[in-house]
Formats: sequence, structure tokens, C-alpha cells
Amino acid sequence: MAPVRLLRVGALLPLLRVWPWLLVLLALVAVRLSKGALLSDAYGLLSRPFWPGSAQQEWISAAQRLGDRARLEQLERENRRLRGLLDLPAVQGRRLQAAVISRQPGGWWQQLLLGKGSLQGVGVGDAIVAPGGLIGLVASTTPTTSTVRLLSDPGSRVGVWVGRSRQQGLLSGIGTARPLLRFLEKDPDARPGDVIFTSPASTLVPPNLPVGVIQRINADADPAPEALVQLSAPADAVDWVQVLLP
Amino acid sequence: MALLSRQPWLVATGLLVPLLTLASPGWLKLDAVPPAWSVLWLLPWALSEGRLAGAAAGLGLGLLLDGLHPGTVSLVPGLVLLGWWWGRMGRKAPLIQRSFSLGLLALVGTALLNGSLMLQWALLSWRGAASLQGSVEGLAGGAEALRQAGPSAALVAMPLWRWEDLAQVGLQVLLAQTLLTALLAPMLCSLQLIFWRQVGAGWRGLSV
Repeated sequence: MAPVRLLRVGALLPLLRVWPWLLVLLALVAVRLSKGALLSDAYGLLSRPFWPGSAQQEWISAAQRLGDRARLEQLERENRRLRGLLDLPAVQGRRLQAAVISRQPGGWWQQLLLGKGSLQGVGVGDAIVAPGGLIGLVASTTPTTSTVRLLSDPGSRVGVWVGRSRQQGLLSGIGTARPLLRFLEKDPDARPGDVIFTSPASTLVPPNLPVGVIQRINADADPAPEALVQLSAPADAVDWVQVLLP
Repeated sequence: MALLSRQPWLVATGLLVPLLTLASPGWLKLDAVPPAWSVLWLLPWALSEGRLAGAAAGLGLGLLLDGLHPGTVSLVPGLVLLGWWWGRMGRKAPLIQRSFSLGLLALVGTALLNGSLMLQWALLSWRGAASLQGSVEGLAGGAEALRQAGPSAALVAMPLWRWEDLAQVGLQVLLAQTLLTALLAPMLCSLQLIFWRQVGAGWRGLSV
């Protein structure tokens, strides 16, 4: 038994001599099998001080914004051309900033008074947008002021559509902060959370201005299904608005 | 002659009413509804000057305020009636001009003024609904299939206040404005009564 034991120990001796190299080999195999994870992590750790800084990130963001703006302008040009071909009303181009000098978001008449009037080119029916979307239409003008009927006013009627399903409807103010959307079809494809835009079929307002979000739907309403819409622009808090001039 | 001598003050204070209506601060509103400044101005004026002056002031004030909002309904009928009523009351019952009575009169007056607006909107809604219903039935020609085909765009475009909105939102506006105006009236109307009396050289010698 003793010569056999010596023979086995003797066979393992070369292995004992090269065990560091075996460890290296195992490490290399691990690197290979992990697709270089250890190397990449080590490189990332070591090179972190030399990574691109926030300034470079800003440059890229600015370039991205520039590209988006150019793309948007191109799309708007294309949109204008197509609308012209289809004889649809043109999308308003020029925007006029106006200060809100009086606001009556509640009560019998829900309106804003703006500090720009007919002398600055504001006309009856011009759409008024605030951060968030459409808030109303100009109801009357004086030389230096204009009165805006808010979307929540009971006299307000605006043609809208559901952005997702393209279902047409009529947004009617009912005196509360949330106007009522009356669908023109008996089975509209709409659900809470859908975003509402001004309808391209409307001749009163520019198309595709964001208006609000459907909050609740009453499918059993007569004569047509109705939905309560949460307006996206806070008309009772804005100090400056934009008049979309024709 | 006394009325003529008060004309500058009448015009100046009367012009304040539409300005205050436009510039009502947010903290002086209840449920986003401002007080009825027209009532707060007209009440002491009519009590001090009588029914004719009250009705005339109500007419002028109503015309001014109607210019501030778009729409077909008017504040004129309500304000003229209130001016006439308060003018008669001022001549017949001087003791009505105590602070509590002023608050009560403002409360009733604001409720009546808002009620006149609700009545006008209800009439307009009723007329609009009747005419639209007639046009829809005319278009359908009595055919059941056409009635079931879908709602008419004209029907869903029914204008202005609906009955159910008037009953809910309208009543809310009425209550908020009535309460707020009645709370402000004792102080503001008493001061104005004193002012009109001083300007008018002690008309009838009444005490507030």
C-alpha cells in the first residue's frame, strides 16, 4: 500500500507547483463566461474620474432639443401643407402674450379679463391657451382689453375629440370647474384617463390643443354618453395667457 | 336739487361697483363667488333717496354691469325692482335702517337678484329645449329608426344652463353670494347711509 500512496502524491506534485496558474486560468474562464463583467466593472471604477461631466450632458440635451424643435417645425410645416390641401382651417401661428387683469372663475359668468384688446389684434373667437392647454375663447373685446369666456362657463361650447380613439364630442361648461363632454356617438370608445384635444373638425378653435383629461364617464346619459373632464390648465391661477391670433 | 348736488358722488361711487366687481380679491370670495357689490351699493342709496331714484340707479347700474359679461340675461330687472322696493321701504319705515335690518335686506335682495337671473336662464333653457326638440322631431320625420340612430348634434349643443345645473350649481352660487353679501352689508351699507345723509344735509333726520 505504501508504494501506491507515494506514487499518488508524486503525481500531484506538479499540480501543487502550478496551482497559482490554475487560479489565474480559472479567473480568466470566469471573465470569459461573465462576458467581461469583472473587467468592465473594474474599468468603470477606475475611469470614473474621467467620465463625461454634466456640461457634456447639457450639450447633448441642447442638441436634442434643437433637433426636436427642428423636427417639430418641419412637422408643423407639413401639417399646414396637408391641411391646406384638405381645405381645413389653418392652424394659428402667432401667439400674443396677455396679462390676466381680472378673473371670475366662479359665479354666474366665468370669465377672465385680459390686458390686450382689439388694438393689439385680439378678436372675438380667438383661442386662449395657458400652461397646460386651452382655457377659453375671447367673447368680446375693447380697444385695450378682452373678455375670455372660460371653458367652464355654461355658455361655452367647444368641439373636442379623444386623443386615443378619435371620438368626437362637444365640451360644454356647466358652471363647475369640470365641464361636461357630450359624445356625438352612442357608444364612444373612451375611458377615464383619456386626454382630450380640440377637434380638427371644429371651425372655432385651432386643432389638437390639449384641453383636459376624462375623469368620469356616464355611459347611460340621455341622449348621449357624457364624461366629466378635468381641465389641464388652471384658469383660476394663471397670471399670463397666450392669445392664438389668426 | 339735492339729487343734482349729489350727482358727482353718485357717479363716482356708482362707477366703483363695476370696478369692484372686476377686482374682487380672492380672499373676499366664498366658493369663488364674490359678493353682490351692486346690492351693497344700491341698498343704502335707495333707502336714502326713495323709489324713483332707487329704480333709476338700479337701471343704470344694471346696464353698467351687463356690459361686463357676455350673454343674454340681464341684471337690470332685478336691480330696478330692488331699487324701487328699497326706496319705498326707506320712506315708509325709517327703523328698517338698523344694521341687522340692513343685513337682512341685503340677504333678501341678493337672493332675489340671483333668483331673477336663474329665472331668465330657466326661461331661456326651456325655450331652447322646446325649439331644439321640435327641430329634432322635424328632422326625424317621426321615424323611430332615425330617432334611435344617435343623438342630434343640435340637441347635445343645447345652450346655456340646463335645469339640473341650475338646481345644483346655480343654487350654490346663490347661497354663497347671498351669505357673503349679507355679512358685509351691515358695515358697508351703514357707512354709506351715513355718507349719503351727510351729503344730503340730513335727509329726514333719520338715525342709523
